[in-house]
Amino acid sequence: MKKMKLFLGPQHPGMHGNASVHLYVDGDIIKESYLLPGMLHRGFEKQMERKLWVNNIALIPRVCVPEPDINEMSFAMATEKLLKLEVPERAHWIRMIMLEFARISAHLMAYGGLGGPTGNYTIMYHAHADRNRILEIFEKISGARVYHQYIVTGGVRKDLPEDIEEDIIELISDLESRLDEYRDIGIDNASIVKRIKDTILLPEEVVWDLGVTGIGMRSATNKPYDVRKITPYARYDQVEFEVPVSDYSDARSRLDIKLKEVQQSINIIRQSLDKMPEGPVRVKPGRGQSMRWTVPKGYVYAPVESSRGEFGYYMVSNGGTTPWRVGVRGASYPQGLLGIEKYMPGTRIDDAALWVDTMGVCSPEIDR
Amino acid sequence: MTNFTSNIKTVDQIIEKTRVEVLLKDEIDNYQVAYEINKADIHTTLSSLKKEGWIQLSYLSAIDWPDENKMELIYLLFNWETPVYIQIRSKIDREHPEVASIIQIYPGAKYYEREAHEFFGIHFPGNPDYEKQLILENWDDIPPLRKDFDPRAYSDKKFPSREYPDQFSEKDPKNKKREKLEARDIRANKLRSGGEKQ
Amino acid sequence: MLSTKFTKKDDVVKTETDRKWWEIGDYFRRNSLWMLMYCTGCCAIELPPSMTAAYDMERLGMGPMATPRQADILLVSGYLSPKTLRRLIYTYEQMSEPRYVVALGSCPINGGIYHDSHVVINKLNQYIPVDVYVGGCMPNPESLLNGFVDLMQGIKNKTAMGWKRYHEHYDWYKANQKHSLGELIIHDEFHE
Repeated sequence: MKKMKLFLGPQHPGMHGNASVHLYVDGDIIKESYLLPGMLHRGFEKQMERKLWVNNIALIPRVCVPEPDINEMSFAMATEKLLKLEVPERAHWIRMIMLEFARISAHLMAYGGLGGPTGNYTIMYHAHADRNRILEIFEKISGARVYHQYIVTGGVRKDLPEDIEEDIIELISDLESRLDEYRDIGIDNASIVKRIKDTILLPEEVVWDLGVTGIGMRSATNKPYDVRKITPYARYDQVEFEVPVSDYSDARSRLDIKLKEVQQSINIIRQSLDKMPEGPVRVKPGRGQSMRWTVPKGYVYAPVESSRGEFGYYMVSNGGTTPWRVGVRGASYPQGLLGIEKYMPGTRIDDAALWVDTMGVCSPEIDR
Repeated sequence: MTNFTSNIKTVDQIIEKTRVEVLLKDEIDNYQVAYEINKADIHTTLSSLKKEGWIQLSYLSAIDWPDENKMELIYLLFNWETPVYIQIRSKIDREHPEVASIIQIYPGAKYYEREAHEFFGIHFPGNPDYEKQLILENWDDIPPLRKDFDPRAYSDKKFPSREYPDQFSEKDPKNKKREKLEARDIRANKLRSGGEKQ
Repeated sequence: MLSTKFTKKDDVVKTETDRKWWEIGDYFRRNSLWMLMYCTGCCAIELPPSMTAAYDMERLGMGPMATPRQADILLVSGYLSPKTLRRLIYTYEQMSEPRYVVALGSCPINGGIYHDSHVVINKLNQYIPVDVYVGGCMPNPESLLNGFVDLMQGIKNKTAMGWKRYHEHYDWYKANQKHSLGELIIHDEFHE
């Protein structure tokens, strides 16, 4: 049996982000495979120990690049649990709107990632054009397109502008009416169905072995395990939405679940715009001087549901003005590192780039 | 949703059945509880919790306490049926840190342990090839997440930065605003570090 | 070189015809630049919106290219860790001349928000010659297109000559790379 070494390297048109996969192939079939992380490593956990609690709000959105709001939400929840601070009512509903918009934009980007490996660039152009409209709404609310720094400890930085409600409703009605068109171009398209149907399977025992969460778990085990339903945060228990599941997990069913989740997020946004009360949006922590506030001692973990799984910050405080230790639990750590080593061999070379895209491996989360 | 206090009581009963000495217990909120145990009891606690349904290992890492001369290991477990996050913490020695690996109980811990060795220097016998570098490449200094490592000094030594020339001119030479600002800074530093008021 | 009825025999010199061929080549080159697809850091998130419908990059004649041997521009989008810099230097030396480098974000200028981090380099100009900097901590797609138009002006005025500087000061660049990175060869022993 011959083995040839092949780099599916960092510079590749189908690769999502800056990570490389080392393959040992025999003909067309992969025999061994390893992921090489570490090219996006910036030393975040060391940097966060040297800056004040308020200064860290500028550093943390850069940990997960496609979806930066989950970092801010998790950090704010962890410090509020340690401080035992009550956030005003209106701030909870505004946080939910921002998180659901971030989820829609991350799902659209992952769906458009089908364009690179299959060579069908129409999907990518449609998905990114719609994502650009969501980024313009972010700019109207918070002032920046990608890194908002809007969800802070104690609420939200400032209130929504005057006529934002009509813009939001116009955008989501337009998206909702075109989800069928996304299905026609993408997963029902006769030219790429053969590459995504019955390939890249994920059986049920593998999910419990590795610790995979998110869409991978819900599509293989048929159970609605979602952090928003099981341990709810920020008024998710007062809106009605469903969690789509499936029994058989191949690449096509996971992408199908993504489009269904976009529909559910649109329902949540409509309900929160109706139920939102008036009032203040921010409470200052206010211990000590205005910027150098301290947090009492404790160890806490704050989980949030991202588009790829369970994402959380583990925070340890020693009573000072800087954190003592911050640990980031990346949502794509199990399926990225151990999944590629154990369960990618057996597939073909052209499935390798699709594996990284449909299983939800996002490399800035693994490297931090 | 479900009854929160009864969930946490279930966890208490499981830990009592294993007869392990609990040094500290902390109930953080409705869905989280933390236990601190000795280093020798880690395997029995984790395997009995896994049999009762806590099959997902969420996070594994370490904290450095240089004043007490100890390092602390953390294991985070979760169960989707009875939703309670359990934190298991235990302190180990800082000079020669070594803990037996938990790969037989949770196979997903393989890469977490490799990363803990790279950033803190903890050894895990039982884990194949945990000494190879995962995230850093050609690293030539002490493990970076320890408290006696200074990233600023390392960065100044190895990656020289751009220099900006100090060019300014006095806008109002009679008023000497700059000296007033410097005097104000010295006074503020004295107050912050506890000196006498003037 | 025979003389025609428009030129006398002594006026036709080799450097003059070389200059005229370079003028024609630069005109075609600056109106159809092809960019290498390599996302090195965070600023690469703003590249797909600038390629699609709202801020179209193709009206300037630019498009994406898959392999470095046929690309014109190397786009360094964001910060660089030493691990990426080794692979980036491999890629830069594989491109064929003339080649241009565009640096996005404030991290290649002076380190940006990671200036005191132990795994991020501080000044890109010491390792690879850079032609155009686009500042901002996530620059807009509009400023990105502005940077490309500046590059085209630079090709026209003959100020974007980074690849010639790399040849003239080759020893200085290699000494800087060796001081910061250690060695430039990529060892893959952790998989063997």
